[in-house]
Amino acid sequence: MKITKWISGALTAVTMVAAATAARAEGGTLVMLVQPEPPSLASYLSTSGPIGLMAPKIYEGLLDYDKDLQAVPSLAKSYKVSADGKTVTFNLQKGVKWHDGEPFTSADVQFTVMEVLSKIHPRGPNSFREVESIDTPDEHTAIFNLKNPAPYMLRALSGYESPMAPKHLLEGEDYRSAPLGNKPVGTGPFKFVEWKKGQYIRLDKNEDYWKEGLPKLDRIVGRFIPDASTRTAAMENGEVHYGAYGAIPNIDAVRLREMDSIGVTTDGYGMINPMALIEFDTTEPPFDDPKVRKAVSMALDRQFLIDNIWFGYGQPATSALSSNFGATGLHDAEAANYPSGPNVDEAKKLLKEAGAEDISITLDLIPYGEDWRRAGEYMKQALGDIGIKADLRYEDVPTWLKRIYADYDFDMNVNYFYQLPDPVLGVHRHYGTDQIRQGTHFVNSSRYSNPDLDALLVKGAQEPDAEKRAAIYSDVQKILGDDKPVANLFEMNFLTVYDSSLKDHDTSALGAYGSFSEAYFDK
Amino acid sequence: MSRTARRLRYVLKRLLQALPIVLAIVVVNFFLLHMAEGDAVDVLAGEAGSATPEYMAELRAKFGLDQPLPVQLLVYLKNVFSFDLGYSFRHEMPVLDLVLDRFVPTLLLMVSTILLAVGFGIVLGLLAATGLNTWRDTLISIFALVTYATPLFWVGLMFIVIFALNLGWFPTSGMKNVAAFNDTWSWANIKDVAHHLVLPTVTLSLFYLALYTRLMRASMLEQAGMDYVTTARAKGLTENRIMFVHVLRNALLPVVTMAGVQVGALIGGSVIVESVFAWPGLGMLAFEALFARDLNLLLGIFLLSALLVVAVNLVVDIIYSSLDPRIEVG
Repeated sequence: MKITKWISGALTAVTMVAAATAARAEGGTLVMLVQPEPPSLASYLSTSGPIGLMAPKIYEGLLDYDKDLQAVPSLAKSYKVSADGKTVTFNLQKGVKWHDGEPFTSADVQFTVMEVLSKIHPRGPNSFREVESIDTPDEHTAIFNLKNPAPYMLRALSGYESPMAPKHLLEGEDYRSAPLGNKPVGTGPFKFVEWKKGQYIRLDKNEDYWKEGLPKLDRIVGRFIPDASTRTAAMENGEVHYGAYGAIPNIDAVRLREMDSIGVTTDGYGMINPMALIEFDTTEPPFDDPKVRKAVSMALDRQFLIDNIWFGYGQPATSALSSNFGATGLHDAEAANYPSGPNVDEAKKLLKEAGAEDISITLDLIPYGEDWRRAGEYMKQALGDIGIKADLRYEDVPTWLKRIYADYDFDMNVNYFYQLPDPVLGVHRHYGTDQIRQGTHFVNSSRYSNPDLDALLVKGAQEPDAEKRAAIYSDVQKILGDDKPVANLFEMNFLTVYDSSLKDHDTSALGAYGSFSEAYFDK
Repeated sequence: MSRTARRLRYVLKRLLQALPIVLAIVVVNFFLLHMAEGDAVDVLAGEAGSATPEYMAELRAKFGLDQPLPVQLLVYLKNVFSFDLGYSFRHEMPVLDLVLDRFVPTLLLMVSTILLAVGFGIVLGLLAATGLNTWRDTLISIFALVTYATPLFWVGLMFIVIFALNLGWFPTSGMKNVAAFNDTWSWANIKDVAHHLVLPTVTLSLFYLALYTRLMRASMLEQAGMDYVTTARAKGLTENRIMFVHVLRNALLPVVTMAGVQVGALIGGSVIVESVFAWPGLGMLAFEALFARDLNLLLGIFLLSALLVVAVNLVVDIIYSSLDPRIEVG
């Protein structure tokens, strides 16, 4: 009697444990590092990094992109581009609801693209510049009418880059200060629940999500931890499960990757394509002379920077375009016109030809962390070797932004740019004459202007044929390789550090900026 | 005039004196903060990736940043006098809400730190003074010197490594377990917050502890040489009674004054401890506001801190006169 009771008790315990494990595989709370605390969650008007980490779990785009950067359905079930490239028809998913229960329709698409993204999104006016109008013949069809073909637009439709916003909550409001900014309502796998300033943002599972059986997680919490060492300790201690975009510094990541419980990857940044570079003031001596710019580019050992400051994460730049554009054929390996290693003698010769020996300049550094300071210290030495005396300047973010982009008060500036999934979206802004926009950040601060290049950029944006397009960008790379208004340094590899029991967080090309609808804990 | 009436008059006088002080603080802070290059719009636009000049001009107009400085100051002063601390455009929230939200964690950290530091400081100082020049005194003095000289962030990180990572006794950071979401007043939540409070409190206390220990020791030694101690000894009182009843009570006075002044200073929060332990206090808020050029928020925090320092100083002066009847207010 007693024994049977004991056995049945044990059985109950076993079933309970089994049930608990099964429940953990489906469900659980993912705690991810979000640093710094975002100013809002309005991803339809800001592409700020921390917003990009949280908002794509809430808002979705028309398309998503798989690991090979190919478009896959999201809010649009399918799309069709007309033969002349000027009409793009999107068939929308049926039965999709906003988190407040209202239905998602083609009117939301029309409103978001025409009224919000094309007008106030930082990159939207560029992504959608050819969109003349959007027709909505029924609730599930949106037809984009374009002035010219815009092949790059189809690469800018992710939930991070072009999130669909609810028309019924924005219309008639000031988009920039609408309550939606702090209390987002989307169609995505997770719903916004709470934002405790200084501590965390909490998102819970969207029970009515339109994708059957998803999301697998019960909850995502974004935590703000200002100190990098504490972030690392919290990751090591299992208090947080996920940190991307350098939340865990490389110096710690190379230590953590030895642990079984933690994984480190450089995947998930293929749509971002960060490129470290130097911007020159091309309007004034000494950098108005391409020879001097080339000499600087030649003096630097790119591999040294990568190995010693970024712990081996990165690839030396080979041209004005990231080698990731090879996927769409736009990166021309033949036009690889960047020096593979430093060449001090050649650099000195160039300086001599330019009559720019023994010059003193100030080197500004992007104020986004200690790595850039160390890079600056190396560059100071390397430039010293070719007779350029560089003083380093490291200021806080607002001061630096104003100096480089509003006052143009600099000689050369170390920076990094996102080249994004297409040169039209991420690279043109650096070189076009129309991109000399005083007061606008992260555009042509070098004030380089070349009519030949401008013509090529226009052609490149509109050419629907892949091969012809590749030829145009090959020429672009040649011109920029010769002139170097900007000297690219290296293709950066950001690191994602994650709890190794977390699976399928990386199914999208967007990586950390993806929706995480399929992510789950395998414990 | 009765004692109470005299005291009331004193308080009123002090409050009147405080007005121009607070006003001066606001004005000086205002100009000081506006001397920094760049503004909130630069930061917002910079974070967003890029923005058109028209958009930035529009934002500046919305934030009132396009007005000349004196006009901005007058507008701010007018708001302050109607008890409106303004609006944080970065957070899209009223400054007062933001500040009050962070005030509770700051208060928690501050009160526990002061209690721990003053309590242990008094005991250690007493132990050192009563065993003057023995190994006990030397040990305590060395301990005080070392904790005072060690950088706070290093102590914090070492505590995290030892007590959170290696021993697993405490969480590394934050104010509560974010996966749990207990109700605010539930027992589980109170325990959770207390658990998270230990490491930041001990870290911050160590620094102040050293201060109080040294102050207490010096104060005890000073009092021990006073005439009344000789008198007490002549009366035939035991050394213990002289030490613990006569000397101790008098030696406490400077420590209490010091604690009072520091309450005011601690209200501003400790940026270092808060950032190492991700404690959501006012210090971090101020720090982030500075780098975001969120001047309304920053001015609000400064103003509140100034008010609190003035108020706490007043209260300390009054308590002081109650503790020691020889000290008169007026």
